[in-house]
Amino acid sequence: MSSAVATAKQSSQGNTSALLILLKLRTFIALIVVTLFFAFMAPNFVSVANAIIISKHVAINAILAIGMTYVILTGGIDLSVGSIVGLTGMVAGGLLAHGLQLPMLGVIIYPNVPEVIGIALLVGTAIGAINGLLVTKLGVAPFIATLGTLYVARGAALLLSGGSTFSNLVGKEELGNQGYPIIGSGNVLGIPVSVIILVVLALIAAYVAQRTPFGRKVYAVGGNERAAALSGVQVDRVKIAVYMISGFCAAVVGLIVSSQLVASHPASGETFELNAIAAAVLGGTSLSGGRGLIGGTIIGAFVIGVLSDGLVMMGVSEFWQMVIKGLVIIAAVVLDQLQRRLAANSRQG
Amino acid sequence: MKLVKTLAALALGAMAGVALSAPVLAQDGGLMVIITPSHDNPFFKAEAEGAQAKAEELGYTTQVYSHDDDANKQNELIDSAIAAGAKAIILDNAGADASVAAVQKAKDAGIPSFLIDREINATGVAVAQIVSNNYQGATLGAEAFVEAMGEEGNYVELTGKESDTNAGIRSSGYHDVIDQYPDLVMVAQQSANWSQTEAFTKMESILQANPDIKGVIAGNDTMAMGALAALEAAGRDDVIVVGFDGSNDVRDAIVAGKIYATVLQPAYRQAQWAVELADKYLKEGSTGMDEKISMDCVLIDETNASDLETFALAE
Repeated sequence: MSSAVATAKQSSQGNTSALLILLKLRTFIALIVVTLFFAFMAPNFVSVANAIIISKHVAINAILAIGMTYVILTGGIDLSVGSIVGLTGMVAGGLLAHGLQLPMLGVIIYPNVPEVIGIALLVGTAIGAINGLLVTKLGVAPFIATLGTLYVARGAALLLSGGSTFSNLVGKEELGNQGYPIIGSGNVLGIPVSVIILVVLALIAAYVAQRTPFGRKVYAVGGNERAAALSGVQVDRVKIAVYMISGFCAAVVGLIVSSQLVASHPASGETFELNAIAAAVLGGTSLSGGRGLIGGTIIGAFVIGVLSDGLVMMGVSEFWQMVIKGLVIIAAVVLDQLQRRLAANSRQG
Repeated sequence: MKLVKTLAALALGAMAGVALSAPVLAQDGGLMVIITPSHDNPFFKAEAEGAQAKAEELGYTTQVYSHDDDANKQNELIDSAIAAGAKAIILDNAGADASVAAVQKAKDAGIPSFLIDREINATGVAVAQIVSNNYQGATLGAEAFVEAMGEEGNYVELTGKESDTNAGIRSSGYHDVIDQYPDLVMVAQQSANWSQTEAFTKMESILQANPDIKGVIAGNDTMAMGALAALEAAGRDDVIVVGFDGSNDVRDAIVAGKIYATVLQPAYRQAQWAVELADKYLKEGSTGMDEKISMDCVLIDETNASDLETFALAE
């Protein structure tokens, strides 16, 4: 160990590369640092039960951030995910509480829980497809297109119930639509269903990004769109697909959030998009596209989650929590810049 | 000529959808503009509905808007109300200081404002300010909480948005009662910003840090519902929960024995009263009452919960 340090000191080259490794691992190091900090500062922080609770809280942001990472990798951004969370939760809640009402035919159809889940996921994915079509076929900048759907989806969520909450979504035996709370509060072998969903989605997303032709196309489009197009990548298709993935992930979160509370509230998910972007950026995803890893995003989401939960457990006031979260995000981006400059320098040298 | 105008109005109305034609055709005492925070909180929705029903009953046309707690949007809505030639404005405002200038602007344009639910930090600008006595309500809730806790044990307080006056008033009302009992120990106090989702997440973390709690007192009902969901997820049905507002969700939870009590602010009746005062002022030139009017809150527990419906208690 000491000899390794000694060799590193011998040349500035070695120094830079050691620093580079540290910078590359910065999110992971940050996670360890905050976890250690709270282990000493917050009561009962180190326990299996608390690790499960934190994972449950992180799952909500991390699932959104997975979709967001795909979009950002292509050089886009999806501001509509928070509103899709609200809308899909309301769709599911409305279907469970009041059924699918067809006034023309004078019938009310009560779908069962798997059908409700399917419809909500379809709605989320469809909004993602609209985002993708706006960005590609109509040439609207991603920031503006998804800002538009942010408002449309939020308005639609409010319209579904006239602004009120669909509460007590436990279903009725005679309607055969019981079981919805399982998504948010069910456990398998002591692990919450939402955490299992996160693990499964993260593994699939990481595999698709790293090991499939589609994943390579996503990176290619974000790295250099023209070059990708010239080498035969159907850029529009890839972009529409990533927005659909993001919409799908948002719908999953919409289901989890409303299931946890056993109630769907049209304002739920507000500002979730910002947390998802923060997790992706913290995890090393470059907002200009082409660079980033699903694993990094997940660690980024854990840094934010451990920070928020730890500060609550320490009893730190809401105002300080916001300040600290902001500083951590800024620090992450500054370190990212530093890493890139160092990497560029060491390549030149 | 009149026929032509009516036909034109009808045609315009048909073109722009049915909604537009209603105000044009109604024969009325003028326009009353009702502005409240976002209707996604059932409390504000009840206010808007109460005011609208009363105003239409008294022969006014109405326009109902939400400022979403954005003082800037409120300012623009008041500009629109002035431009539309409103006779009166019923307002649940977007901030005690930030709203003074907007209400003054309406007054300068000759439009009287009648404030409900929240005060502004100025007098002589609005014609009336009807406010629920949040402090009195909080002491009611706190007394019920203390009794249910048996005057001892650890508890958690979830406060509202810290920039909102009522969050502070309710919290001090709670503490002025609870702090008289030294065996009641507050082990955590967090703002959940009036939000159910946030109350759920924070309550889960607080439960981890302090598993030995006996009660939760929340600054409003949505946070009480969020805390209840977290407690139920942790299998804790032994914790006493008290809320504030009197929503239908909490009413159902009280009837089911999951929440101990809440405090009703009579939002629906309050909004109706503001409209009645506005009507009197427009007809007689005075409301016959002081500007600041305080309405007492009512404790809701298992004895009267079933009489509660949409922020109104059956007589």
